[in-house]
Amino acid sequence: MRAVILTLHLIALALYGLATALTLAPFMGLRSAPRAITIALPCAGAAVHVVALSRLTLVGLGPALSMLALCLVLLQLASERLLRGSAVSFFAGPLATGLVGLAILSGLAPGAEPSGGRNVWFILHVALSVMGLALLALAFIAAALYLLQFRELKARRFGQVFQLFPPLERLDQLNRFALVGGFPALTLGVLLALGYAARFAGGLHVGKAQIVWGVFTWVVLGWAVWVRLVRHWAGRRAAFASIAGFSAVLLVYVALKLAQPGAERFL
Amino acid sequence: MSGHEEVGIKVLGVNHRTAPLEVRERFAHGAHEVPGALARVMAAGAKGGVLLSTCNRTEFYLVADDEPAVETVWALLGERLPSSPAGGAHEYGYIERDREAVRHLYRVSSGLDSMILGESQIQGQVRDAWEASRAQAGPVLHRLFQTALHVGSRVRTETALGMGTASAASAAVAVAGKIFGDLVGRSALILGAGDMAELAATCLTNEGVQVTLVANRTQERARAIAERLGARALSLEEAWPHFATTDIALCSTAAPHAVVTWERVGHVIAGRRGRPLCILDLAVPRDVDPAVTQMENVFLYDVDDLQTVAAQATARRRDEIPAAERIVEEETDLFWAWYGGLGVVPAIKEFRSRMDELRAAELERALRQLGHLAPEDRARIEHLSQALLTKFLHEPTLALKQAAEEGRGYGLLEALRRLFGLGRDPDEGGPPA
Repeated sequence: MRAVILTLHLIALALYGLATALTLAPFMGLRSAPRAITIALPCAGAAVHVVALSRLTLVGLGPALSMLALCLVLLQLASERLLRGSAVSFFAGPLATGLVGLAILSGLAPGAEPSGGRNVWFILHVALSVMGLALLALAFIAAALYLLQFRELKARRFGQVFQLFPPLERLDQLNRFALVGGFPALTLGVLLALGYAARFAGGLHVGKAQIVWGVFTWVVLGWAVWVRLVRHWAGRRAAFASIAGFSAVLLVYVALKLAQPGAERFL
Repeated sequence: MSGHEEVGIKVLGVNHRTAPLEVRERFAHGAHEVPGALARVMAAGAKGGVLLSTCNRTEFYLVADDEPAVETVWALLGERLPSSPAGGAHEYGYIERDREAVRHLYRVSSGLDSMILGESQIQGQVRDAWEASRAQAGPVLHRLFQTALHVGSRVRTETALGMGTASAASAAVAVAGKIFGDLVGRSALILGAGDMAELAATCLTNEGVQVTLVANRTQERARAIAERLGARALSLEEAWPHFATTDIALCSTAAPHAVVTWERVGHVIAGRRGRPLCILDLAVPRDVDPAVTQMENVFLYDVDDLQTVAAQATARRRDEIPAAERIVEEETDLFWAWYGGLGVVPAIKEFRSRMDELRAAELERALRQLGHLAPEDRARIEHLSQALLTKFLHEPTLALKQAAEEGRGYGLLEALRRLFGLGRDPDEGGPPA
């Protein structure tokens, strides 16, 4: 089973990698690949990836990274339709490919069961948390694309970024959608984790640092959503806010992993 | 008999390379004029006709057995040149026949023959011409125009010939589109009344932008443009407060110095609360003080910028010409193979069967009169009749097959139908009626 899961992940990795290379080709002075191919490859990769994940228990770092990569690819494909272009894949492609690679390196083994057993709470917790993270990553990508396109438009440079990146307002809309969708999904995912731990795993086993930094991350993300919705920030300021939010998630995650390495928990 | 003296496909007309604008304007046909013009050409012997008339070309596509129809087209166009005698139109025009005519239409629908290489508007114009001439087109031109649209689509999907924007006016649309995305419902303000601003404004309105205000030093000129664009005219001084609300400002005054200055619009733009403002400065010397771009949400582009965008697109499009030409050649071969063999096989079958029926009927009558013959003599006579028929039909069959291979099958079939009264339409099952 382990070999099958690994093989399927390697196939997905190859398909994502190929799609990414083709998407980035214009930046290396090569011809753009037909759009049908740059859509079909990640679609095929996602299909293989779904089969691989269906054979895994979503416990531990490797499976969680793998699922995050899958969510990111699915969001990338959805946003391609919204933006009528492949610009999100300039960032989402390499990120998803890297996450699958990391998942493979972290170890992908079936069979590990969550400490409180597998039930609806657990499945919803994993699904919402990972989807929330993927949406925040998408918001980050949209914000980065926005800032790059903004810089080129202000500087009157009409190169590849001008040609290939979507219009500013569409990137702003994507950023808003992903941020406003990602924050409640992640919040609900964490709340479900707390409920799951209290009801099925015999209480919450987390350190003070995790609580403090977790709350800090939540506040930063909440601020980014608040300025978007209440203060009506848009454009560049809103892009910086969502970059700050996602960066907080990443930094806190890496810091906590380094300080308190744990195999079972993703967050 | 040379190829072009038979029934064949022809295109004749004028385009942006062969005739100046003032001549093309005269030759242009409105949709309501198309049926009348084609009726005249059909009356002169054409078996099918489509008239394609755009601002860059007026072309008659015909299936005709030549001179009368061609002369009628030149006369028809010549009548629109008041200072020139009828027939003088051909001085501005060209004529392509058969395979070259097919190739010509495919190049036209692909945008390869357009003034702005790869422009996509022509595809719709070809479709409209086909629709407007549907009653007179006939099966061959139906098929030709149907495939021409397919070739145009193939070239646009399989190559990057239509990518980017290749004129300064359309570059203005592209730049605004990179800021706002969808331009439908955006508002635009025009400062000045230059031709370039009007052209760019027209391009923007085609994309759904609403030009709401036209400001100029002379109100009369502003009013004239405003009327054409469905906008309101006002003076320059009245225009500054509108920088708070408009999405796009097109500047094209004849002022010798900047008129859109920080002092005039800085505080107004500050009130936009970050909403982007795209300023397209099409004037030379420039109308907009570069200091205005210090505002974060202001995106300013001048004529040089727009020309850079257009030039980049044109260069990229030129690289795609060989790939596009390859598709045109491929599709021309396919059409020519279809056209060449058009109905030849069923026609030969019908021809032979008709002749065989005649032979059988005559043989039966003769044998009735020769009732005394022994069975072996009757068989010998029947064999003789069959051998004679085979020999008689050999040359015409070969000629038809050869004509089909050379793309002249349609003309010869017409002759065959007339000479032997074949009822079957060779185009049945081919192009749409």
